[in-house]
Amino acid sequence: MSEHDQFRELLEAHALNALDASERAALEAHLATGCPECVTALEEARYLVSQLAYLAPPAEPSEMLRARVLRTARAEASPAQRPKEPARTSTAIPYWLWVGVAALLLLSVYSTWNARKLQAEVAEVNQRAAAELTQREKLEHELMVAKHEAWILTDPASKKIAIWPNDKEMPMIEARWHPKMGIYVTGDKIPMPKDNKVLQLWLISKNGKPMPSHVFWPDANGKIGEMVDDPPEVLAQTKALAITEEPAGGSLQPTSTPMWVGGVS
Amino acid sequence: MFLAALTPKYGDDVSSDATLVVQLLHRDVNAFEQLYDRHSRIVYALVLRILQQASTAEEVVQDVFLQLWRNAGQYQSDRGPFVPWLLTLARNRALDHLRLKSERQRRREDQTEELPAIAKAPEYEKALDEKRRAERVRSLIGTLSAPQKKAIEMAYFEGLSHSEIANALQEPLGTVKSWIRNGLLRLKEGLQTAS
Repeated sequence: MSEHDQFRELLEAHALNALDASERAALEAHLATGCPECVTALEEARYLVSQLAYLAPPAEPSEMLRARVLRTARAEASPAQRPKEPARTSTAIPYWLWVGVAALLLLSVYSTWNARKLQAEVAEVNQRAAAELTQREKLEHELMVAKHEAWILTDPASKKIAIWPNDKEMPMIEARWHPKMGIYVTGDKIPMPKDNKVLQLWLISKNGKPMPSHVFWPDANGKIGEMVDDPPEVLAQTKALAITEEPAGGSLQPTSTPMWVGGVS
Repeated sequence: MFLAALTPKYGDDVSSDATLVVQLLHRDVNAFEQLYDRHSRIVYALVLRILQQASTAEEVVQDVFLQLWRNAGQYQSDRGPFVPWLLTLARNRALDHLRLKSERQRRREDQTEELPAIAKAPEYEKALDEKRRAERVRSLIGTLSAPQKKAIEMAYFEGLSHSEIANALQEPLGTVKSWIRNGLLRLKEGLQTAS
């Protein structure tokens, strides 16, 4: 038997993949030489071996397997093979999405406007509240002053002091001094000081030294109602009250002759 | 002539397997469906015979057909008819599974596997459906002795080598070689005669 015939006897077993390693290596080396007879015979042997599949008992694969395999293939098919999808609008974004975006923008603008409006309203309310608080404090102060005035005017402990004008044509000014509540100065038909000057109250102590006190001026009707809560001198050490015309803001020492003077004794 | 007698022939109104495989290259699902319906039974029967477990067999059959779908270019009609190529692919895949090859290894082979040529494209001389083909093969193998048939089945369905079969059957190695070769040659002669 020639070497070629020996290899021919191995072809069917090689097609079965039943050769042991050494025989398979030798045969493959021979086939690598390009022996046309063996190559053709091997192809026929492979075909013959494939027919052994029909020895398998008939069996039917499940419909589920078929569905699974075909579903996978369809999913992997190119777009051309897939069912055509409904035509879309040119924007590729559905109109309802644009409507939603527009609504969102409008809502955003409205929210911003509303927030700013609310901020302005809050600021206005705060401002109004501050003004009302100021007004309330002012009213409370006025109420307190009025109470003091009423107390001073009615309390028997208050000492009535007549402050006489140097000019007999001028009206008299009256002061009531309460040892604890202070001094309340009143007057009527008092002329308004000229040249932006003001009227200033002085407490003249027993040693003759003038102590500066409140600065004030009459209202449009010439009325005076000035409350001195904390007079610089006590009643017992004060000899007289005097009123001068002073520059705006008042002075530490009198700059003019007193226009009104009243003894405290 | 041997191959020509055994290769299926389709009518003019039915696309050949080779034509359908070409259509797979264009991702034609309908062509794939036709191929599956034509050949899934014999592929499944073969794989089930090897693996002896239906669920695993279906898994392997799925792999085989999806490999065909994804790598249709691996089949070349000038290297042989389609069905033997598909059966060889299925047998290799099932035996790989039987040998518990790792999933990674099998996947690597998916990408590189190229089956050897089986036969040159034959001239179709005679149509033979799957059922008649199976009856003829079984009939011819049925004429063999029981040990001879057993040795062939162990080689084909279990993927055993000559030495492994000899050990399993407690027979001399030479005897096993002769049984297998002579049995296959008788099958070949019978198929030629029957055609």
